[in-house]
Amino acid sequence: MSKQFQGRSRVWLTTGLLLLGIMIATAATLRQTNLVGASPASSATLSNDECMACHGESGMTLTLESEEILWLSIDANKFTNSVHNLEEVACVDCHTDITAFPHPERSAHSLRELSLELYTSCKECHSEQYDKTLDSMHERTLAGGDTNAAICTDCHNPHTQARMTHPVTGEILLLEKVKIPQTCARCHSTIYETYKQSVHGYALTSKYNQDVPTCIDCHGVHNIGDPRTASYRLESPQICASCHTDSDMMDKYGVSTDVVDTYVADFHGATIELFEKRSPDHDSNKPVCYDCHGIHDIKSPDDPDHGIALKENLLITCQRCHPEADANFPDSWMSHYVPDAEHYPIVFYVDWFYKILIPVVIGGMLLFVISDIVRRIIDKRKGASHS
Amino acid sequence: MSKTPRTYPRFELARRIEHLIMLLSFGTLGITGLPQKYPSSGISHFIVNLFGGIEGTRSIHHIAATVMMVGTIYHLLVFGYKFYVKRTRLGMLPALQDVRDGLQATLYNLGFAKKRPQMGRYTFEEKLEYWAFVWGTVIMGLTGFMMWNPITTSGILPGEFIPAAKAAHGLEAVLAVLAILIWHFYGVHFKIFNKAMWTGSMTEEEMLHEHPLELADIKAGVADRPVDPIILKKRQRVYFPVAAILTTIMLAGVFGFVNSENTAITTLPVSVERAGIGYDPQTPTPFPTLAPTPTPQPMEAVADLTWSGYIGPVLQEKCSMCHGALGGLSLASYADAMTGGQSGAIILPGDGANSLLVTIQIPGDHLGQLTPDELSLVQEWIDAGAPE
Repeated sequence: MSKQFQGRSRVWLTTGLLLLGIMIATAATLRQTNLVGASPASSATLSNDECMACHGESGMTLTLESEEILWLSIDANKFTNSVHNLEEVACVDCHTDITAFPHPERSAHSLRELSLELYTSCKECHSEQYDKTLDSMHERTLAGGDTNAAICTDCHNPHTQARMTHPVTGEILLLEKVKIPQTCARCHSTIYETYKQSVHGYALTSKYNQDVPTCIDCHGVHNIGDPRTASYRLESPQICASCHTDSDMMDKYGVSTDVVDTYVADFHGATIELFEKRSPDHDSNKPVCYDCHGIHDIKSPDDPDHGIALKENLLITCQRCHPEADANFPDSWMSHYVPDAEHYPIVFYVDWFYKILIPVVIGGMLLFVISDIVRRIIDKRKGASHS
Repeated sequence: MSKTPRTYPRFELARRIEHLIMLLSFGTLGITGLPQKYPSSGISHFIVNLFGGIEGTRSIHHIAATVMMVGTIYHLLVFGYKFYVKRTRLGMLPALQDVRDGLQATLYNLGFAKKRPQMGRYTFEEKLEYWAFVWGTVIMGLTGFMMWNPITTSGILPGEFIPAAKAAHGLEAVLAVLAILIWHFYGVHFKIFNKAMWTGSMTEEEMLHEHPLELADIKAGVADRPVDPIILKKRQRVYFPVAAILTTIMLAGVFGFVNSENTAITTLPVSVERAGIGYDPQTPTPFPTLAPTPTPQPMEAVADLTWSGYIGPVLQEKCSMCHGALGGLSLASYADAMTGGQSGAIILPGDGANSLLVTIQIPGDHLGQLTPDELSLVQEWIDAGAPE
């Protein structure tokens, strides 16, 4: 090997190493920006107008490796009304890796991969909600390998999501409330179909009634847990109670607010109440509200086809756990009535009988015992003074 | 040197054991019953924890009830023996004299009588307690049966008897426990500490205080005397077979009571399937793989484009923060909205494009801004004549 060649190769080697070093450093810096640079203020180098100059054009698409079409156009109208635009969030606050044109290459092979890459930037602003999702059923499913499990952007399209809550009161706005079940329905469509027919779902979707619960009122939002667990079941009466003991709300519909008290006063509710306190993680075969009233198909008790105020329907309900029950059996459940002379008179008069018997007997005993004590004290003093 | 005082037998060993069994079962029933009557109170949770959960508490309650039922059968057999074979005096039967004694005792306590009543083997206090216990046992047994066997019960009686039984069972229990705490505890623990139920006997002095008439009978030799052995044998030959048959019937009854019905205790497990299929994505929309892009979605169909069906709630939502009565304009009701405000009518039925409600929104900078979708629906509604 000649000396000259050796010298040349050293130059190449040095240059090569140098280039490699630069590449590594650049890569590291880029990685750094990906992690830290996500805070909105530091990376807002591009204005939304600059982005929309291209992305405002309709029909911009990109075909991914999976042969799915990625829409690059942003509907300016919808984005204008989105809460992100109203709150002046910049495109690059979420798309943190984009600082200039041309944009860096994407590694995602499919739309889903792309969503999964991008959605974590939500936590930069919505950390509270994001942290809650970490405890959710969806997150557990995702961690279990099911990439279809819902992530932030599946429910809240960041380009179109309107303001959901009232800026002052924090209450969910009616039109957004109506959309909640539809959002869940994208994945849980059969449940939605059932819910729509239920007394709550019908009122919401057909009457725009704001009082009724949507999915999130029972399942929670962001930290949606597993509703099949024993603890969810045992705690579920409290969920129903949160509205059904609110007299302001229930009076509007003429619905009793005694439903929880009467449930706990009876055998089933008393057992569930005690069971939940002692062993919230164990299954109990005693029914909770939804075992009789339905889960997603909750009907009004007066519903002509399914209402359990009708004895025939109630009997079918009873027979799910008491298969030998016959026609008289449903009357053993007082249908959430507080007994009075009209409803369940035998129970009412038994109560009434003891309301008299107990004070008379116990009062009489107490009077005799007290008089006896006093008399004995007096006798003793007399006896003592005589001796 | 004092002589050991003479004692008189009061309760034979078998009766003392019977009392102990009743005491234990009654106490257990009371303690395990309390959380079932008052499930929300703190003490209930403490008791339930003590017995390892409500199912455990309930099992112990059932065992104690069974013990008490068997105890009651034993008591009946002993009674039968004394009644038929030994022909003892039925000292526990209530009599008019007991009313007189009770009255006199009360009057004495109140200072209207000169002396306490003189009583025999069973005082009116003891009889009251005994018969109260009998009443309680009958009520608790019957109502307990109804709750333990609700399906059998509702096969014979109206279903309402079961909650009625539950009410009676709980309230009778309150009555029984209070009666024991007040009447029994005072009578045999506080007034005097009466140990006869444990020692089986009483001293002469105690007898003089508590049962002077019985003491007099014993001294006069007119108390119960042993039966002639030959007659005793004869009566036993009749009684024992009869008792054996009765015992079998009664024990079979208890067995049926406890075992005939299981659905109320071990009901079928509740199936989770009724909740519906958890994951069942909508078709044909290939969610959730749809990326967050502006695929134009059809506007939500509004079923009922009227004031009450759609417009009212929307305006309520978007406008009522300011236009309650402010600015002379209220959007609280259909009539108010149609009246308009300081600038005149805001809704010109049939002419959405020129209605102030629409024109004020067009520039897009109104404080309560409707979305384009909402605005177009409002316009459509006015064009349609603004139906209520």
